Amino acid sequence: MGNGDWGAWMSAAQSGDASMYHRLLQELGAWLQRYFTRRLPPGMVDDAVQDTLFAIHQKRHTYDPSRPFGPWLAAVARYKWIDRLRAMKSAPTEALSEELAVPDHEESVTSANSLERLLQTLKPAQSEVIRLVKLQGYSIEEAARRTGQSAALVKVNIHRGLGRLTALVRKQADDE
Amino acid sequence: MTNNEFYDRLVSDLKPVGRRSALADGLIIAMLFALELAIFLAVGMARSDMPVAMEMPSFWWKLCSCGIIAICGAMVAIASFNPVASPLRGLRWLLVMVFVCIGAGWFVDAAQNGAGALIARLDWQDGLQCVYKMMLLSVPPVVALGWLMRRGAPTYPGATALAVGVAAAAWGAFVFVFACPSDDPLYIAVWYLVGCGLLTLVARVLLPALTRW
Repeated sequence: MGNGDWGAWMSAAQSGDASMYHRLLQELGAWLQRYFTRRLPPGMVDDAVQDTLFAIHQKRHTYDPSRPFGPWLAAVARYKWIDRLRAMKSAPTEALSEELAVPDHEESVTSANSLERLLQTLKPAQSEVIRLVKLQGYSIEEAARRTGQSAALVKVNIHRGLGRLTALVRKQADDE
Repeated sequence: MTNNEFYDRLVSDLKPVGRRSALADGLIIAMLFALELAIFLAVGMARSDMPVAMEMPSFWWKLCSCGIIAICGAMVAIASFNPVASPLRGLRWLLVMVFVCIGAGWFVDAAQNGAGALIARLDWQDGLQCVYKMMLLSVPPVVALGWLMRRGAPTYPGATALAVGVAAAAWGAFVFVFACPSDDPLYIAVWYLVGCGLLTLVARVLLPALTRW
């Protein structure tokens, strides 16, 4: 992970050094962009990056400069990732932006990234409806028709699947 | 808002901050614990037969059990206000500790009273009073720990809230021990568990939402 100077820059920011802080935010912004691109649908990445930077700003006093910066940053980013996965449960399940339904885009969303690896650990019925409704923007009814599940079962599978994803991310964090 | 505008906004809001320290948090909670206990005893809430009570094993059992659980719970909670730390291992040990304490109570009970008339010994009217007072005494520590939790950056908010609840509830019970007239281990095991359990449940439900970041 990242630049060895980040800890020193954050330490300077804690003392009020604006120029170091600006430089740090720019680098963290780029790092978080890559982090969330591998873990979230494209439509959620920018919001997740800014939300995480805001959390870093608010909680900067919790960083201890005598410790490495990487694990601290990773813990905050993972917390915000889990937050986003949870938010997907309650987010609207239809009428997402049109661009999410473009097949080529879908491939770029789900190919060889962390989210896809996580989806593969779910039951096929769960991962299929999460891909359709949460990543590609299909409505519950459309997903039900395509998968042969009832609308109620689609909702249950999305809810349980996203809950399972959140638990998996937590477990990975505990195992690390 | 573009990323550059967002960075500028955060930079313009930058002020020097005092670093969080687990030791400072621990001192705040230790002082609050000591202050609450001192006030409780100073206003004459302690039981009048304290010298007699102090000769009974059950008094020391409940005092030590609540005190140890409160201190260990507070340590687990405070450690987990650091985003890098997970409270899960500490919580497992706390759970083991609670069961060891209750188990020790059964031994104390067997040595002290023997079996029989269990329901009558529970004395539910006094028991509910105990639950109410214990929960009231748990309010200052749960507020203080909740405030520290909000100031920190817990990344396991549910588990941290559980640790906060256990610590605050056990401290409320610890202070209440000085006023509690019952020395019956069965009564103590049941009603202290109800009081501490309720407060822990409230903390588990409310704190993650109140301290979200």
